[in-house]
Amino acid sequence: MTATDDRPTMIEFKDVHKYYGDYHALRGINGTIKAGEFFSLLGPSGCGKTTLLRTIAGFEDISSGVIMIDGKDMADVAANVRPTNMVFQSYAIFPHMSVEENVGFGLRKDPRSKEDKARAVAEALEQVGLKGFGKRAAHALSGGQRQRVALARALILKPKVLLLDEPLSALDKKMREHMQVELIKLQRQVGITFILVTHDQEEALVMSDRIAVMFEGEIAQLADPETLYRRPATRKVADFIGTMNFIPASILSEAGDKVEVEAKGLGRVALDIAQAPEKTGETPVVGLRPETLTLLYDDQKAPERETDGVIDEVIYFGDMTYYDVYLGGTDVEVRLSMRNVPGRPVLDVGDRVRVAWSPSALVLFR
Amino acid sequence: MAQTPRSEARTGLKLISPTAIYVILLLAVPLATVLVYSVMTGGRGIVSFPLTFENYAELWSKSVYGYIMLKSLLVALVVTAATVILAYPVAYFVSFHVKPERKSLWLFLITIPFWTSYIIRVSLWFVILGFGGVLDSTLAVVGLQPLNLASYSILSIIIVLAHAYAPFAVLPIFVSLEKVDRSLLEAGQDLGESRWVTFLRVTLPLSMPGVIAAALIVFIPTVGDYVTPELVGDGKEPMIANLIETQLLKLQNFPQGSAFAVASMLMVGIVSVAFVLWNRRFIGGSK
Repeated sequence: MTATDDRPTMIEFKDVHKYYGDYHALRGINGTIKAGEFFSLLGPSGCGKTTLLRTIAGFEDISSGVIMIDGKDMADVAANVRPTNMVFQSYAIFPHMSVEENVGFGLRKDPRSKEDKARAVAEALEQVGLKGFGKRAAHALSGGQRQRVALARALILKPKVLLLDEPLSALDKKMREHMQVELIKLQRQVGITFILVTHDQEEALVMSDRIAVMFEGEIAQLADPETLYRRPATRKVADFIGTMNFIPASILSEAGDKVEVEAKGLGRVALDIAQAPEKTGETPVVGLRPETLTLLYDDQKAPERETDGVIDEVIYFGDMTYYDVYLGGTDVEVRLSMRNVPGRPVLDVGDRVRVAWSPSALVLFR
Repeated sequence: MAQTPRSEARTGLKLISPTAIYVILLLAVPLATVLVYSVMTGGRGIVSFPLTFENYAELWSKSVYGYIMLKSLLVALVVTAATVILAYPVAYFVSFHVKPERKSLWLFLITIPFWTSYIIRVSLWFVILGFGGVLDSTLAVVGLQPLNLASYSILSIIIVLAHAYAPFAVLPIFVSLEKVDRSLLEAGQDLGESRWVTFLRVTLPLSMPGVIAAALIVFIPTVGDYVTPELVGDGKEPMIANLIETQLLKLQNFPQGSAFAVASMLMVGIVSVAFVLWNRRFIGGSK
């Protein structure tokens, strides 16, 4: 995660709308993507993230609004002349061509000599870890190899923006985690703006400098991964990114930069206004991530606040144990996670426990 | 009871025997008869020994036979080319521009010409192409001389055959176009090519197996077509099939007719093998 504020703007959306007939797929997208940034569009299926990516590539027209790439309005610019290249979800490897023909596909109009182009193809293949695969038939490649070919084929054209449409969704878990790291390294190395579409929040958190979380054609929050995780703007975002406990609360007072709430099972808490994103009109709840709650053992003392509880469920994960705990004699159940370290026994259902928590970890949704 | 490989093989043979008998009686036996007849002596309904290559020599020696065979081959190739070139845009349109739920309706519509007997369709072409026909009267309206295309036998044969075989060409091309992953076309454009160049570099090569299948489907029957030259050309432009018919039925020269048939089969075989070999290039690539 690097600071991106000082970088020049690469892509700018100004009130972008897209309709398919009556269906409103993009509902006023605004925002900027910086040069050299690893940017993710994250959201559940049908939220418009792929549509937005395709409007950047030029495969979809927009109904209204403006998309600027590197300072130029893309309204009348066809897909084949945009400074973007795409890695398709299906990889779209040309099955009738060899690996090197695939990678060199976009070089037809390149004025370089045949030898120079062949060298560029070989370099691109080496860059993605497919050295010596040039002569292979494209249909004889594995999923991971196809993806690398798709990457090489796009990167060889030195685009200003590389678009990745759920590129890892077809790979198995191990391969996916491996490719995540490789993509991050590759992006640092080439310095091109990467825009990744994904429905996997973990993937977005791992890979991105900044993330736009989308729901129903709108950007719900655009922030860096840490802000997104620690200070989600809405309950929906909080629910989509990781796990969050929601505890019913009532607002007692709001003055200056302080908000005082009464949270069921936790008691009175004074929150900083930064912990309370803009009002959306929902019933007030406070959110707490499982890892911000800690079980206290024996004579341990809570550094800030503590609450009594009863264990309702124990979910053992090897390195971790999740506990579902009823807070302070109420019916409010929270999930908390504990690392399994030596000298810390796994507790049982029904055990009475003390739970430590910190007011600064709370987020208020109202 | 464990079955030995041999008894398994016996069961297998038993199972395929009806089909095998059918194929042997209706394909292998007639083919062998024609092959044997072609090297026998005869005439006037009699076939007799000794075995001879006289019939093939006859084919070589008279240039009129060579001319007719070559003409059949060329007409079939022109018909094939015309049919495939005309069918491709139709198949492309149905595959790329017709809504998925409407595609089967469109294909159904394409088969409508088959609802009418071939003889009737051929006759209808006279109404269009012939003297005072639809084409000529249309030309007369704009002040042009009548063409009376029906009097140009070979051209008429080509037009009629190309029309008759068009649906056969549309279907395989359509199927191969349906299999083209649409994201490949976007990838082509994404990599800097226009729609047209993407078509040439991606869609066309990927649909070649269908094109070649279509070419074979049209070429093989048109080389041996008998009815069309008989009806359209009024028998004035005989093709290879008419030649065989003359020898076998009119002159009752079975050996000579068989030799023509074998020669014609060889010709078709050579061209078809060329097509199949050409097809390998494309099929190898597209799984």
